[in-house]
Amino acid sequence: MRGVAPDAGPDVAPHAMVDAGVDATTPQTGRAALDPAALAAVAEQLVAIVGGRHVLRRPSELRVYDADGLPGLHRQPGLAVLPGTREELVAVVRALAAADVPFVPRGAGTGLSGGALADGIVVVGLNRLTRILHVDAENRLAVVEPGVVNVTLTRAVAPHGLHYAPDPSSQTACTIGGNVAENAGGPHCLKYGVTLDHVAAVTVLLPDGSIVALGNADGEDSGYDLLGAFVGSEGCFGIALDVTVRLAPDPPAVRTLLADFPRLDDAARAVSAIIAAGIVPAALEMMDAAAIQAVEASIYAAGYPTDAAAILLCEVDGLAAGLDADVAEVVRHCREAGAREVAVAADAAQRARLWQGRKKAFGAMGRIAPHLVLQDAVVPRTRLPEVLARIAAVGARHGVRIGNVFHAGDGNLHPNISYDAHDADESARVHAAMQEVMQACIDAGGTITGEHGVGLDKRDYMDRLFDAPTLRAMCRLRDVFDPARRANPGKVVPVRACREWHGTPAARDAAREAARDVGRASAAAGGPGAPASATT
Amino acid sequence: MSAASSLASAAGPTLALGLPTVGTPTSTAEASALVRDAAAAGTRLRLVGRGRWLDAGHPVRADGVLALAALDGVVDHVPGDLTLTARAGTPLAEIARVAAAERQFLALDPFGAADGTLGATVATASAGPLAHAFGTPRSNVLGVEFVTGTGEVVRAGGRVVKNVAGFDLVRLATGAWGTLGVLTEVSVRLRALPEVDVTVAVALPAAAAAAAGAGAHGAVAALDAWLARLRRAPLAAWALELVNGPLAEALRVADRPVLLARLAGNAPAVAAQRATLAALGEVTDLPADLWRRLAACEPPVAAVARLSARPTRLATLCAELFSPAARAFGLLAHASPSRGVVRFVLPGAQGFGMPSAAPGRRPGAAGDAAAVDPPPTCIVERLPAALWASVAAPWRTPRAVDALARGARRAFDPAGILNAGILGDESAPHPAAPRPQRDTSP
Repeated sequence: MRGVAPDAGPDVAPHAMVDAGVDATTPQTGRAALDPAALAAVAEQLVAIVGGRHVLRRPSELRVYDADGLPGLHRQPGLAVLPGTREELVAVVRALAAADVPFVPRGAGTGLSGGALADGIVVVGLNRLTRILHVDAENRLAVVEPGVVNVTLTRAVAPHGLHYAPDPSSQTACTIGGNVAENAGGPHCLKYGVTLDHVAAVTVLLPDGSIVALGNADGEDSGYDLLGAFVGSEGCFGIALDVTVRLAPDPPAVRTLLADFPRLDDAARAVSAIIAAGIVPAALEMMDAAAIQAVEASIYAAGYPTDAAAILLCEVDGLAAGLDADVAEVVRHCREAGAREVAVAADAAQRARLWQGRKKAFGAMGRIAPHLVLQDAVVPRTRLPEVLARIAAVGARHGVRIGNVFHAGDGNLHPNISYDAHDADESARVHAAMQEVMQACIDAGGTITGEHGVGLDKRDYMDRLFDAPTLRAMCRLRDVFDPARRANPGKVVPVRACREWHGTPAARDAAREAARDVGRASAAAGGPGAPASATT
Repeated sequence: MSAASSLASAAGPTLALGLPTVGTPTSTAEASALVRDAAAAGTRLRLVGRGRWLDAGHPVRADGVLALAALDGVVDHVPGDLTLTARAGTPLAEIARVAAAERQFLALDPFGAADGTLGATVATASAGPLAHAFGTPRSNVLGVEFVTGTGEVVRAGGRVVKNVAGFDLVRLATGAWGTLGVLTEVSVRLRALPEVDVTVAVALPAAAAAAAGAGAHGAVAALDAWLARLRRAPLAAWALELVNGPLAEALRVADRPVLLARLAGNAPAVAAQRATLAALGEVTDLPADLWRRLAACEPPVAAVARLSARPTRLATLCAELFSPAARAFGLLAHASPSRGVVRFVLPGAQGFGMPSAAPGRRPGAAGDAAAVDPPPTCIVERLPAALWASVAAPWRTPRAVDALARGARRAFDPAGILNAGILGDESAPHPAAPRPQRDTSP
């Protein structure tokens, strides 16, 4: 972003910035781009495997692959290959291994951390692998290819009274393979757990082209929990050829409540009180005044009170018996914390309307200003009032308005700022404010990402959170799966943390290269982007 | 508890193993220094917590014991966040006591005595009946601190309930049996104690109970059908555990197989579930200590193993293990209908009655679709050391991930000094048991 943080050094962690044709302060991926001759040679092999139509090389074709759901970061891949079958995918990865070519696996590209960017290297697109291979309704399991869209699976198993529980806001577009790579969350993960809790087994194509089965859908798993390590490895450990997921039975009964608060910290205290009381809502979401007003001014207007400082959207589900008692408890805790009004949705239509406002909140905010920066961090729930106050103070100090729409029940914050990236002064203030917000979350005992992943965007925050031995241990784990470091190179762990652990000469060279280049670089120009559709 | 009493309890298992104690660290820094020294000297370490499960896992090749019981105590408990951090040697009973003061609990209830440690529970990924509702340690551990085989201290995860920052070393360390690092501190999520918490037994209908006893194909179908009804019933139980006749007798519940159920939550929800169960069979109230007695049901010397498969195959697994032949050996068995796991205990040091190979497939004619079912997964939990080669060997299933597992081991414990052999790795030569071997968990 032009004019942003002119003094930014190598330690600057950039943010999710929308840039419309402006330069950006951006991190480098770990390996140098392929030279044209190497690219041409590998392209020829890939064409032989998948056919010419499915190897994209022209800049115009590659444009859709130059960014993911994180606005503002753009990288031009060397080429994109789109295998249509499992066999083609295996052959593609083996060809890349034989040629020692690095690659980035990519699902729907809805990720919010820049994890799917490929800087001059090969994108392996998995969107054509969309088969649901098997549904075992009685045992509540399904086997799917990685490109199956999250909500497609839920729709497919709905006749059995089942659904796939993790529900990121991008669920109508994001893929199961991508969800596994990111260990994706969603509002209903408060009660039902994140992706990791819903994956029984994965057949993994390792970067060297060999195939291993991780986990066990036919009983207990034993030995190291390599499946647990694979889920959330952000495409650095290999590609899922198929995923066996657990399906959840549809709850017999659901109630959705809307509580509105004149004070933000009262809403935060209500969250803590509900959780501490032992109620486990299916979802417990919070929106502040900025978000409420944006939603109500948009086509997604959900009937939220526009004069409230904050609303809580709380859903409880489960057996019909006892649910009303839970609802009464939630209402009581909200009122005791200072809620002005607590309303229970009367029917499914009202419930859907309340949820639409939440799920489209970022879309609505996109209308306010040309650009949106959206963060993802987690703090202990009891620290929410204090952290929200600190976030407001940071915003005031930098003259920016920081909005909050987030998974309050998990303490999973999504601070966001609508702004104009063409205004250099405002951009600099936004950037500085977001850095301080992240530091505030870390200081409160939190973490730098709850569900979006580290990717490129958060990579340089990693050593604020983890010490050197822990980062080295992460590198060692990566090297177990991918000793050549060809899968999604340069993501997740800062390259300098891994310097002494490079297994191959190629990786060592790449690391030296990257270490030199950490810091500033200019990004390719991008469109205005649609930050909002992306998720959380 | 004081360091002195921890030391005393750590001395027991050390002596029992016939190994010298290399050290009794009281801090992570001390543990790190001890491991670093051991790595430099090539001293292979046996990690021992409170020594309550010394014969779990494969026989270990060790030169000395690293006693971890003195590395104990709750470090942090934030009731409002439902999170707790404790040093690895802290007994589960101590965590239960601290949590209960705030009407909370840790939903990890591994089989065995309650004074086993948090570290051992996490290191072995041991789960009990509460896994039905709350999952295994994988779903309950938020963060770990561990000392690698080179003495480096790794702090993975955190104290928040949702965290995807970096590669998942927490999951890697959980269930690694100490072979990737010595756990020194663990952060867990807690749950709130319920308003109402009742335990009941549900009688199986005669045909299904006969199935569990007789093992005849027709009767297996009856149990199968009953379990299918159970799976579909609107329940949100905290625990459901099927127990065989001998175990029901040992628990003084009944003289034939029954289903044990723990129903918890608010009063209307519990009442409704009770009515649901009553439609499946006669419901009898049981005292709450039933679960503690179930956990402690196994004798000090026994062979213990688990079989698992998809839940729809549980009736078949149960039929073999709940049979009269099994009863003749005094075999105690219990099963989780939702997880498809049946666990059985053979009292005594001989392993009499231990199946010589993994029990087979679903009954049905060859060519039946069922014939493509994979064999059940077999995990030997405890076995007298002398029996590993003979009894457990036929159960081993080679796994394609072994190369990755070996790579992980080399990456975190390059000298192979941590609990060598406990996971049954065959890459190293098996020792010719020079002394009476007993195996321990960390």
